Amino acid sequence: MAIGKSKFRIDAPGKVTGETLYPADIDRENFIHAKVVFSNKPHARMKRMDLSAAEAVTGVLGIFTAADVPVNEYGLTMFDQPVMVGVNATGRSKVPSDVSRWEGDQVAVVVAETPEAAQAAAEKIQIEWEDLPLVHDVWDGLKDDVLVHPEAGTNAFKHYVIRKGAMDDGWAAADVIIEGRYEVPHQEHAYLQPEAAISYVDEMGRITIEIGGQWTHEDQEQVAHALDMPAEDIRIIYPAIGGAFGGREDMSLQIVMALASWKLYQKGETRPIRSQWSREESIIGHHKRHRAVVTTRWGATKDGKITAVEADVYLDAGAYNYTSNKVLGNFHLCVAGPYEIPNARIDSYAIYTTTVPGGAFRGFGAPQGAFAAESQMNKLADALGIDPLELRLMNCLHDESIAITQTPMPAGVSIRQVVEDCASASQWHQPLADAEPFQAFQSLAADKSNIRRGRGIACAYKNVGFSFGFPERCEAKIELYGSVEIERAVLYHSAAEVGQGTHTALRQMTAEALAIDYDKIEMVLSDTAFTGDSGSVSASRMTFMAGNAIKGAAERALEAWQNEDRPAVGQIRFTPRSTDMIDDVTGKGDANISYGYVAEVVELSVDIETGHIHIERVVCADDVGHAINPNLVVGQIEGAIVQAYGYAVTENLRVVDGRILNPRLSTYLIPGIKDIPLQVDSVLVEVPDPQGPWGARGMAEMPFIPLAPAIAAALHDATDVWFDKIPLTPENVIRTLRDNEKTS
Amino acid sequence: MWPKEFDYVRASSVDDAIQQTSDNTDAKILAGGHSLLPAMKLRLSEPGKLVDISRLADLKGISANGTLSIGAMSTHAEIAASADVQQYCASLATACGMVGDHQVRNFGTLGGNIAHADPASDPPTVLVAAGATIHIKRSRGERSVSAEDFFIDLFTTDLEDGEVITRIEVPNLSGHKAAYVKMPHPASRYAIVGVAVILEMDGDTCKSARVAVGGATVSAMRASGAESALSGSSLDDAALNAAASAVQSDISDALMGDVSYPESYRQAMSGVYLKRAVKAALG
Repeated sequence: MAIGKSKFRIDAPGKVTGETLYPADIDRENFIHAKVVFSNKPHARMKRMDLSAAEAVTGVLGIFTAADVPVNEYGLTMFDQPVMVGVNATGRSKVPSDVSRWEGDQVAVVVAETPEAAQAAAEKIQIEWEDLPLVHDVWDGLKDDVLVHPEAGTNAFKHYVIRKGAMDDGWAAADVIIEGRYEVPHQEHAYLQPEAAISYVDEMGRITIEIGGQWTHEDQEQVAHALDMPAEDIRIIYPAIGGAFGGREDMSLQIVMALASWKLYQKGETRPIRSQWSREESIIGHHKRHRAVVTTRWGATKDGKITAVEADVYLDAGAYNYTSNKVLGNFHLCVAGPYEIPNARIDSYAIYTTTVPGGAFRGFGAPQGAFAAESQMNKLADALGIDPLELRLMNCLHDESIAITQTPMPAGVSIRQVVEDCASASQWHQPLADAEPFQAFQSLAADKSNIRRGRGIACAYKNVGFSFGFPERCEAKIELYGSVEIERAVLYHSAAEVGQGTHTALRQMTAEALAIDYDKIEMVLSDTAFTGDSGSVSASRMTFMAGNAIKGAAERALEAWQNEDRPAVGQIRFTPRSTDMIDDVTGKGDANISYGYVAEVVELSVDIETGHIHIERVVCADDVGHAINPNLVVGQIEGAIVQAYGYAVTENLRVVDGRILNPRLSTYLIPGIKDIPLQVDSVLVEVPDPQGPWGARGMAEMPFIPLAPAIAAALHDATDVWFDKIPLTPENVIRTLRDNEKTS
Repeated sequence: MWPKEFDYVRASSVDDAIQQTSDNTDAKILAGGHSLLPAMKLRLSEPGKLVDISRLADLKGISANGTLSIGAMSTHAEIAASADVQQYCASLATACGMVGDHQVRNFGTLGGNIAHADPASDPPTVLVAAGATIHIKRSRGERSVSAEDFFIDLFTTDLEDGEVITRIEVPNLSGHKAAYVKMPHPASRYAIVGVAVILEMDGDTCKSARVAVGGATVSAMRASGAESALSGSSLDDAALNAAASAVQSDISDALMGDVSYPESYRQAMSGVYLKRAVKAALG
């Protein structure tokens, strides 16, 4: 067996020794340098642009703007963003080119002999703007008196509904009704490696971009669309990638670098171009996890059976859709939690504002939904006097359940199992043990009288794979070499290694599928010139989809081997069962292929005078179906919990008048080693997913999802106060405690 | 980022440094450089010339003779490790030991630190509470000013062009109960709020108290209301709560905040940290 073992990561030695090159590390003698210029205008119309002073700077080779883009529109699921904002755009585009709708809109790419010359020229670009009124937040957006995209007719550009059962019956049957309003913040991906890329025209005449991304073939398609060229004329290569978490799904440097290389190539300039964003540019220039507000009401009988759920979700999409319509869909389903809900009314809106776009980020709408749903469950349990663990077991989905979308749940529902396993691993039924009073800082003696301890639970589910009818696919090709015995096998695959360990898992699964030695597997990876479309590393889907594709390709390759083909080649485009867009009127539809399930218990202390939170222990039970590589699974769980801790407690992106006020890591505070939970117990639950390869289930996002509501529940246990807004910064905790003192 | 181009000279004496900076208002004194150079890299400061005084022997050394005398070019690490400082004013050693990291403490100096007057730095708060005196040399002689009057505003001191801090004098507080506690910023470790207390005890009664606050305020400042609330009390809970309220009023006109820690939070924490400072002082 090659799977089920904790093989060392194949990318580790190169990364640890520094031998592996990330895009910014690649050094070629003849590099020329590009600088992307941002509009720096949250909402303004460009009246005039004068490049003459910039072009006169010594060393400048070319400056490219909206006027140079053949098809000046971009978007993963809707073309609602110009590649560059500017005047004199002549290419066809569905979106007006002359309006900057966000401070990170790109207005020019400057190419020069040196980075200094590119920077100097960038500063000399003269632009005349007419400021337009800002749309600060969702409430501003809903007024519709200023439209971010007048062509859309409204700022609330996407609306999903759920209409299930009869709400009147649901409320009539309820003995307890809990109302809540929840606010969740933006989150920055803060991956280790800020955006960087190199571009050139390769020996086959293909415009080539080497960059960190999540889906080579989507990058290829977006570049091809904007340049109005066939996809095969564009080549995308992923060198080592320094983290992604959803933040590299949308385009950063891909299109503008391709444009610059193509334009300069036509003028006879063949040197490769290099560009790199600073941390500030990275934080300003790419999307964030969506901030949102949820108002919601849940009813239950005194025996603890949920009778009705209603919710209104307001998602701040920012200036452009990015993947907001898809994130909203997940949010929409997750706001009702992994429970049987007989009666539901849910309305969810994605709303344009003139702020940083929201987009993909680990969890993809589920963490926001779960914060509302799980907080409601904990409040219901408190009001009913029922253990919050028991309340979940009374209501959780099972294999025969009808989903909130009024269709049967895909088989393999394991929410009960993960909740029970989490409870038992965390000794939920034992009294919470004392912990050493924590000493927030070295200079400060622990003061036990101000420390309160608490414990909380939350659980969650989330889809695995593309959803709502978006076409799933994953290609794999395997070549077998040898004569009598298979001496070596080569896997061709595009899965992006963003640090999660996918390449190691691919190799393990290939060895397993072929039943040959792990050491005999070679891989050609993430280069559109050689590898097929894998879909993105997102939606916890790659192990699931790639495993199935590898199994199919291996089967065909082995068949060819039996037929004496040398090399024997097997190739497949795996497609799982299809999904539906949910109905506009009822919300009915088979929206998702499969789900992952997770439960977490948090034990913490809080200093009620300073608001500092100290998490002693997190127990996470995550159903991974079949752990292909247990250590990598544990790594995903621990990493997700650290990232979710930042989301729930420390990270506080401040956006004022359309601008990010803290675009650097000295002021946007991601957790440090001394902040994070002291102990994480990872419980790998293995309930096979009938559709998964060897039963494996998507898992990488799940551990992120329930942490924030579990922390809020533990804080309530500690202080008797509910915390409905994250992040739980010391300031927020103190303010909430004091507000509560005033009202109680 | 890179600083703007500048000239560098090493002063041959304190008088030479005074001369060179008096003649040229574009010149700045360079001590350890751990405040000035970062500011220059951010182009917040763009001096045309740096006059380096860090190697002047006259400005070094720590001595204790009735009062504690700390040469302006003493490094934070030297002060933190000094037995004399430990004996006369242990909380100054504590504060200097909290500045930056090892590299900063090994190179940064107390004179440079107070001349820069970063409101979130630790030593100024202790110097104000301790009633320290800053000795200054200039072309027309010497003068001295109390720490309390020295720190005026954000990065603003009583120091004028052509003046050099020579030493910092601290009274002998060995008979007092004292402490400095702070909430460090998670990224920079600068004080979000820092509180220094120096208590003169008579049995269980606090005969007199000196309190200073930094980090939460635009400069290190004394909190006289809190001092009154503590003085004459037995430092019981009632007195501590009264002092915690008073300190918040004392600093209400001088508050400073940022995106993560707004003024209101820092103000509230000045009360919490005052109580904890008193408890820490009493051991």
